[in-house]
Formats: sequence, C-alpha cells, structure tokens
Amino acid sequence: MALVYGLLWRLLLFLVHINRAFVSWLRVRTRCFKGRLWERAMASLLLPVAFTEFPEEQKKIQRSPDLMPLAADNVAERQALFLRDGKSLEKLPMHIGLLLVDEEPNYTDIANLIVWCMAMGISCVSVYDDNGILQKNNSLLMKEVIQLQRHLGVEGSKVEFLNNGSDRHVVSCRPTVNVLSPEDGKQSIVQAAQQLCRSVENKERSPKDISVSMLDCLLREYKNIPDPDLVLKLGPVESTLGFLPWHIRLTEFISLSSHRNISYEDLLGALHRYGACQQRLGK
Amino acid sequence: MSWIKEGELNFLERIAANILKAGPMPKHVAFIMDGNRRFARKKNVDRQEGHMQGFNKLAETLRWCKHLDIQEVTVYAFSIENFKRTKDEVDGLMELARQKFLRLLDEMDNLKKHEVCVRVLGDLNMLPLDLQQLIAKAVVSTKHHNKCFLNVCFAYTSRYEITNAVREMAWGVEKGLIKPSDVSELLLSECLYSYNSPNPDLLIRTSGEVRLSDFLLWQTSHSCIVFQSVLWPEYTFWNLCEAVIQYQLNHKSIQKARDVYQEQQSLQQLEADRACVAEQHQGNGKPADSKRRQEALEQYSACREERVHDFLQALKHKRDLFFSDLSSQAVST
Repeated sequence: MALVYGLLWRLLLFLVHINRAFVSWLRVRTRCFKGRLWERAMASLLLPVAFTEFPEEQKKIQRSPDLMPLAADNVAERQALFLRDGKSLEKLPMHIGLLLVDEEPNYTDIANLIVWCMAMGISCVSVYDDNGILQKNNSLLMKEVIQLQRHLGVEGSKVEFLNNGSDRHVVSCRPTVNVLSPEDGKQSIVQAAQQLCRSVENKERSPKDISVSMLDCLLREYKNIPDPDLVLKLGPVESTLGFLPWHIRLTEFISLSSHRNISYEDLLGALHRYGACQQRLGK
Repeated sequence: MSWIKEGELNFLERIAANILKAGPMPKHVAFIMDGNRRFARKKNVDRQEGHMQGFNKLAETLRWCKHLDIQEVTVYAFSIENFKRTKDEVDGLMELARQKFLRLLDEMDNLKKHEVCVRVLGDLNMLPLDLQQLIAKAVVSTKHHNKCFLNVCFAYTSRYEITNAVREMAWGVEKGLIKPSDVSELLLSECLYSYNSPNPDLLIRTSGEVRLSDFLLWQTSHSCIVFQSVLWPEYTFWNLCEAVIQYQLNHKSIQKARDVYQEQQSLQQLEADRACVAEQHQGNGKPADSKRRQEALEQYSACREERVHDFLQALKHKRDLFFSDLSSQAVST
C-alpha cells in the first residue's frame, strides 16, 4: 500500500511541475492577450496566488509597446517615460530588495532591474543571494550597472555602491545599491549583541537598558540600510534564505519565477501589485 | 468551543493525507491566522464573532495536523502591534483569551490523553495579570507532555523576542556565566522564546497578505513560506494540503541551503574560537607549534561549551521559576 501511495505522490509532484511549466509558457505567450482570457485560464488551472500575476495589474500595463521607456528614441523621452511609469504606481517603494534564490546570477539581468528601478524613482535598491556570490563579484555588477546607465542615458545622480562594512558613515540620500549576503543578516545582529554584552561587561550599561530601539540603532550604525518596503523574490525557492531577518518585519514579498531574461513589464507588474498592498500596522 | 476537535478524516481526505505522507512532511508548521475581521465583514457579523470562528478554525487545523503527522504548530494569536487597536477590540480579545485558557484548563484530561504541550511565547508581562496567571497554569500543567506541541504567540513580535534574547545573554555576561565572545547565532537561538522548538519547516499566512508582520523572523530564515489568499476562518484541509505540497516542492533546495548555512556557521565558530585562543596567548612570546595550538583550541572550545551549557541551565531555571510563580499565584487567587 505504501508503494502505491509513493507512486501517487510522485505523480502528484510531476503534475504540479507540468502545471508550473505550462503557466510560465502561458505567461510569456499571453502577455498581449486580453485580461479576461488570462483570468479564465488561471482559474481553470486552479493556481494558488503565488503563481499568478494579478489580471488587474496586467491590464494596467497593457498599452502600446511604443510607450515603453525602452522603446523610446531619445534620452530625454526615455527618462520621462521611466518617471511616468514610477508616478503611475499607487505607491512607490523607497527601498526595494532583489532576492536571488537558488539561481546563478546573470549580471546583465540584475543590472537591468537595478537601473530600471532607479530610473522610475526608487532610490534604494538592495541585491542579495544566499551564497554571497554577488558580494564577491560586486565590481562586475557595478560595471554592468554603469554601462547600462550610460547606454540608456539615465545616469542622473551618481549611484553609491555600498559593500560590506566599508561605507559605514554614508548617509544614503543619493541613489544607493546595497550588495548583501547572509552576513548582513543574523551575523550583524550577533555582532550588535556582542557589542552590547561588552558594554554590560564594562559596566557601561545594564541588561535592562537594552531595548528594541537600541538594538535597531546599533544595527543601522553598522550598515545604514532602511527596512525594505518590497522584496522581489527571483527564483524557484519559496524562502527568504537568510535575507535581513531584522529588517523585513513589514516587507511585502512578491515572487517572480526568475531573474533571467526578466522584462521591464514583469517588474512593472510586480510594482503595480505592490501598490495594491494595504498595511494596517497591527490596527 | 474546545481546543481539541476529535474525529477522523473523511475518505478522500485520508487518501490525500496518505499520498502526501509518502513524501517529506514538515514537522513544525507556523500559521499567521489572518483574516478574521475581513471574514466578519463578509458574513455581516461582528468582529468578536470573527475572532471566535478563527479560534474554532485553529482547533480544526490542529486536528488536521495531527492526522498529517505534523507534531508541532506555532500560531500568531496576538501581536504587540495589536495593542494599537481600539480598547473595545483589545479588551474583547483579552476576554476571548481568558475564556479559551480557562477552557484549556478544564480540558486538561483530554490534553493529557493526547499528550499536548501548550506553550505561550511573548512578552507576557504586557498582559493583564490574571491572564498571565491562567497562561502560566496552562503552560506548567502541560509541560511534560511530549507528543504534540502547540506554541501560541501572544503579546509577541519578533523584534521584541530577539531583543529579549540579547538581554538574557547580557544578563549572563553580567552574572559572569558567559563572555561576550561566547555570543553566537546558536546561542541567540537558544535564548529566544522558541528555544524548546526546532525552526518551523513551513510558514503559512492566510488572507492574501504577503508580509511576515514581525513573526518568527529569526526562526523562519530558511523555512518554506507560503502565502494563501483564503481567509483564516474559511481555511480548509485542502488549503493545508496545498501548502504542504509547496513545502515538498521546495524541500530539497531549502534543505541544501540550510546545510550549507550550518556548515558556514560551524566554520565561523571555529574561526571565532581560534581568534579568542590567539588573543589569550598573545603575550606568551614564543609561537606555539601547531599541535599545541590545536590542543589549546580544543580546550578553549570545550570550556566555552561548558560555560554556555551552565548559562542555558541557569536561564531555563529562571524561565521555569517565572511560570511556576505565576501559576501558583493563580491557584491561590
């Protein structure tokens, strides 16, 4: 009997995989389809929310390809179109996190996302992968970003690249890109805890003095990263894989299947979906 | 209504459960039970009724988890942020909690029969004293049950929990039980309210919201996270199966990431111990040979582990005393 159930389980997983693959294929094919057809197709495939793009958001970004910033003829028009797209959103995140899960980074695609986000007016972009590959190859990423900015003519103010510990006292009022790894997560909290324990050992403070705001301030001193408003999870794994646990308490998570060959429309769709999120903050 | 719903699964549910159990199953599932108020609005009933239905759904979900061999469940019942709600709603929720914990104490025989251990995680001193006492009584009475575990997060946020863990470690340093250099990720995990539980394998949030709302941020860093749009009081067995399938699809990749992370942790601890040993022997002049260095390292690690063990024993004693004191107050009132 156990064998039968085992086989049925494998069959179930196989069917789910097929379903997923079909949806991805359909998503690419139906980008220009009307919203209603998409809705019906999704309903018939009985897909959970995480795998669908909201049809309303699809409608919002369905317009003539000529009005896309990437299709613009000159730099001024392109910059204006990016900003217009940013303004068309219900709300724009101030800090967006790009979380690569279980994927080998493609620097061009990541640079695309970073540059598009900044061109739309998002001033702080963080990129993360749980193996720390991006941090190790920080300069490669930086090069791609600068190259792309030049190509699109959306340089604007110079982008600040913050890496591990080297830029402690930078106040990020300029567009910043943080390249993060798991060390910036739990390990930073541990370092802050060690510092507080040392000050208790030196009788500079008592354990009772340690508060949430004190720990929060100390963490911002190490690396001045604001809480991300939105995280785009790029890849097949449904987990944060150690991304900034302290900072993500109110962060909205939107999943996209991959960062590879990601399109501007994909990004815009996700941002529209973010616009629909309503926070009650406990109330 | 009762905490424990008896009853078997129906035929179809049993088949589905058996199929799922052929694959890897989560041993610990966490729920953000969101959507009670939206449910109440939808059904045109008052909020309090929505919360009641939410509680009933919890009891039913625990029954499903038992049939799916999910041993441990953690739920987000009340956030510290929820104190911001209107006084009426907060009082209503406190009263609901009082009724439910009194009911729990009434059902102690049943809890013993099913060996259910109930724990309450949070900054309990924010709650009214009588509720604290009831909670303590429930926790102490079910302490030794070890078949199923229900962790209720009440007056809880993850940031408060992490800060409290740091405070406990600072207390340990103040008492001379541990050194600041002993502070590590592993030690911090042992100082959280959830120290008795393994990290959740699966985190489910209902009602369509796609955020964590300050829930188990430390513990779920390598958990499978599933957002479902169904409102909590309308949660079904099939919704739970859907979430479990997600877990099974992600199991291998998450396990691999977890293993890599743990390996890095061990290396980091080794490096930290080496640095401490080097600091200790700094003034010694002669550079030690590698055998002596290895011995010194092993000795240091052993001493550190002993220190940490004694500290954690002292912390456990402090925590047990907190609950037993409150519990005995409840008896005498």
